[in-house]
Amino acid sequence: MNKVFIVARTEYLISVTSKAFLIGIVMMPIFMGGAILVQYLTHDQIDIAPRRIALVDQTGRLFDKLQTRAEIHNQTEIFDGEGEQRKQTGAPFILENYIPEDHGDERADVVLTRRVSDGDLFAFAIIDDGIFEATSAGSIRYHSQTPSYQTLANWLRNAVNEEIKSVRIAELQLSNETVAALSRHAPLRQFGLVETDIQGGVQDAKEENRILTFAIPFAGLMLMFMMIMSVAPAMLNNVLEEKIQKISEFLISSVTPFQLMAGKLLGAVCVGLTLSTLYLGAAFGLAVYFDVSDSVPVSLYAWFVFYLLVSLVTFGSIFSAIGAACSEIRDAQSLMTPVMLLVIIPMMCIGPILDSPSSTFSRAISLFPPATPMLMFVRIAIPPGPAVWEIVLGSVLTVLFAIGCVWAAGKVFRIGILSQGQSPSIAKLATWVLAK
Amino acid sequence: MSISGVTLAAFPSKLFGVFVFSKGSPLSVIQLSDVTKNYGKHTAVEKLSLSVPAGSLYGFIGPNGSGKTTTIRMILRIIHPDSGTIEVLGNLAASSANDRLGYLPEERGLYKKLSVRRMLGYYAALKGMASNDARIAVEGWLQKFELTQWSSKKIESLSKGMSQKVQFIASIIAHPKILILDEPFSGLDPVNTEAIREAILHLQDSGTTIIFSTHDMSTAERMCDSVFMIHQGVKVLDGTLDEIKSQFGTGSIQLRWDGAREQLASIREVHTVIDCEGYQELQFDGDPQRVLHQLITKGSVQRFEIAQPSLHDIFIRIAGPKAMDSSDSQSQRIGA
Repeated sequence: MNKVFIVARTEYLISVTSKAFLIGIVMMPIFMGGAILVQYLTHDQIDIAPRRIALVDQTGRLFDKLQTRAEIHNQTEIFDGEGEQRKQTGAPFILENYIPEDHGDERADVVLTRRVSDGDLFAFAIIDDGIFEATSAGSIRYHSQTPSYQTLANWLRNAVNEEIKSVRIAELQLSNETVAALSRHAPLRQFGLVETDIQGGVQDAKEENRILTFAIPFAGLMLMFMMIMSVAPAMLNNVLEEKIQKISEFLISSVTPFQLMAGKLLGAVCVGLTLSTLYLGAAFGLAVYFDVSDSVPVSLYAWFVFYLLVSLVTFGSIFSAIGAACSEIRDAQSLMTPVMLLVIIPMMCIGPILDSPSSTFSRAISLFPPATPMLMFVRIAIPPGPAVWEIVLGSVLTVLFAIGCVWAAGKVFRIGILSQGQSPSIAKLATWVLAK
Repeated sequence: MSISGVTLAAFPSKLFGVFVFSKGSPLSVIQLSDVTKNYGKHTAVEKLSLSVPAGSLYGFIGPNGSGKTTTIRMILRIIHPDSGTIEVLGNLAASSANDRLGYLPEERGLYKKLSVRRMLGYYAALKGMASNDARIAVEGWLQKFELTQWSSKKIESLSKGMSQKVQFIASIIAHPKILILDEPFSGLDPVNTEAIREAILHLQDSGTTIIFSTHDMSTAERMCDSVFMIHQGVKVLDGTLDEIKSQFGTGSIQLRWDGAREQLASIREVHTVIDCEGYQELQFDGDPQRVLHQLITKGSVQRFEIAQPSLHDIFIRIAGPKAMDSSDSQSQRIGA
């Protein structure tokens, strides 16, 4: 056991004193901060050129009202700030009333399509004649060659529908005040649960911060994913490099292959925990600074560390076995692909789980051992969290899976570290696992 | 076949390995009994029994495939035999025995990013040395090999020769009871070769048992005490170098005389005549005195010398020329 710690200590010190580690610590926040900064700096770097749209108003009643709305939009909605700080941040809309009869026999959509293609127009829209009737299937047909730009289409849809609603309300002869009173939306505020202490005292529920509710599990998931991606593939490279450089045979004359693998694994796990401790510490500091530290219970930090530990052991052992089994990085990459899928599965499932953390799907996928560390953490981080039996079952299964991975990896490592030549197939690896 | 002090098993003419034994220590530090190792359907080592006396300098010679690396790895317990038993330093537990073993593999590698001192300290720690003892040993060996000024440098900044000396130090840093050297002089210049050769002999003098695996027959002949040969995993020969040479030594005569070459063919014991510059080499079976007697009756003999074969000659005689080609080409590849 002592030799495992000697290997682990050396591996750990080699990693944390390397320039790559120190650069990595600094670079990750720089990249993340940089991404936010770039978004901030570029948020107003948008095309504010006027968008000219031709409207074929088959009702004959809407264009003037839409023109008025466009003028209001152009005077108010496309500017931010006041006084000298006032700055244009959106594109003005220029409306053209296109009356087909004034342009000969050629179809209006053909003529207007040509004009859009020529750059004379940004888009054109045809408003159906029967659009005012509640039972009508009439619609607004919006044509453009830049469907990714939705601002104009959204404005047009809202403006037309507002006008239609006004007309329908007018037909009912309701006053504007009545309409306003009828349309008033009641605000919805979201709270957690009321807490009752042992003495029967009741503490009012706290209002939920919607951003934090989603940000914490998502940030935890991302951090765990980044730690796995930082540590596990590095283990593969480390083992493969030592094998290629013929260091391994020298080492295993002093330690058993399993001791060597276990030492490397322990060293790598410690590197991952060191990195995450630094980031969690920084996150906690920021939480205290912004007075939201109460939003993250201490138990959540403990769950994060526990699940990170399990996932690093799981994927670290699998990747080190692949490194030992292969003789070239190219062969290792082909064996890495199925394992990478296991790492990525939780990232692909995050949407449905954030949306519905207690659904059957969320429960099932979070009990799938390779995905449990990341997904169970996400479910724990979203109040009220999963049932206790789910946490216990998931934790037991994933710990057993991690132990199984270490055992199987040790068997592969023992044979693979001395093998040369073509890398083994997955079937061959299975025979190594089952070999005495 | 059995010769005094030498066991000669049946040996087909392909691939061989050779071990060399010490002359007389009664204690055996390595004992293999009926050891067999299979890789799938291929038998790498078959019912191999071997006893290495304490303090010997024990040569292990042969081309690829004879089972020598498998045997070394089993002694080091890197791999385990399918059947048979291996004892290293008596009944010592595997981990304790390995701490007393030093190993210099044929293909070497060091942590390029570590400093010389730190890397040697790491290997010493893996061998169970206390840090103070390790520090003293590291400084001592670095001084002996004139590497002190490089102790804080990273391995990647060393020349190839210096790296090989550092690797050699790593294999002996923990004062091993048994030192296994696989091609220790491969790629070394003559100065470094001599430095390491002296260190090996010094270790032997201080009681370390040395197993010496090499393709270089002349080096083995110069350094080793005894020989052990295996062919395709099967033991075919073991004994001291002198005993083996005397067994194969009567088969060749260097001759200068005034008789005709055709007359040599009429001597029943002579089966091959090789013309060399200034003399002829006769290869024969039987009593050399009978050959001499017949030569004298056929002409005037100026030179008659019974040549003792080199280890190289014995190896070729047993394994055949093809095995030697394989061995040589392997040596060149490793040395390149």
